[in-house]
Amino acid sequence: MEEISFKNDVLPLKDKLFRLALRITSNREEAEDIVQDTLIKLWNQRNEWSAIRNMETYSMTVCRNLALDAISKSERQNISLDETAHDQPDTSRMQDEVLMRQQQMDRIRAIIQQLPEKQRTIILLRDIEEKSYQEIAEIMGINLSDVKVNLFRARQTLKAKINKS
Amino acid sequence: MNYQYIEQLIERYWDCQTTLEEEQILRSFFKQDDVPMHLMQYVPFFAHEAAEKNEKLGEDFDKRILAMTAEESKTVKAKQIKLLTRISPFFKAVAVVAVILTISNIAERALQNNSASGTTVGVTDTYTRKEDITAKIKIIDSSQSEAMAKTDSLKQAPAINKEDMMLE
Repeated sequence: MEEISFKNDVLPLKDKLFRLALRITSNREEAEDIVQDTLIKLWNQRNEWSAIRNMETYSMTVCRNLALDAISKSERQNISLDETAHDQPDTSRMQDEVLMRQQQMDRIRAIIQQLPEKQRTIILLRDIEEKSYQEIAEIMGINLSDVKVNLFRARQTLKAKINKS
Repeated sequence: MNYQYIEQLIERYWDCQTTLEEEQILRSFFKQDDVPMHLMQYVPFFAHEAAEKNEKLGEDFDKRILAMTAEESKTVKAKQIKLLTRISPFFKAVAVVAVILTISNIAERALQNNSASGTTVGVTDTYTRKEDITAKIKIIDSSQSEAMAKTDSLKQAPAINKEDMMLE
């Protein structure tokens, strides 16, 4: 079996893990801490790496579980939309069109954040990380039909809300 | 322009019937500037996805993690070992060649000495020793004969005296 290097194979997954943690917690600092905890946990398990079939899938599972633990601890499941808005750059000087586009994107972000965590995460894994249904099922530890059902519900909600606007 | 294909794709997208490749086509389509009006409402959704993809951690994050795992120093060490292991066969080869050369040199010299003078030295030694011994034997012989001669003369002396006395 090919040898796994922490620096070359595990650490480069950090951005994917960060996006996943951010999707679940909606808090940048918390997401960063979760990615750090995930990577340290993986590092401490380095003697068992040879038994891991897919490091990326495994690390995302670890990251998701840590993120879910974090939100259940802090009871921050219903994220304030204001927080994301704070992260946006100063829009005062932006042109109208750009500003409008930004507001529309914020609205989409808000719609996604209102989805249940499972649907939110599936949308991220499918549309942003471009994972197959099978990979999503493995990462989330659910069956294939569960992935499809949740993705279908999420997209139907998005479609309805986007078309309503 | 006919957007029927895109319209169909987006409907299939909402119904989760698109493949990853088809979803990629949709993303590329909505990234362009001239999206027709009746599809404009989907632009923010795909633009949001593209923006989400750019969410990344800062550069200092790597340093922090590497310091925590001490992987950085380990990698350097590993490189050093690699260098040594790469060089060590060369050293071994040099050492082996040096040993062979030394041995062959010594052996060659020894052989040369043997063929040139090695055996004669032994023979002359024996000869000299024999000569010495014979010389010594001769010396001993001569000293013995001298001694014998002296005793003979001593034995003869009283006879002379007797003769002298007889003559008197």
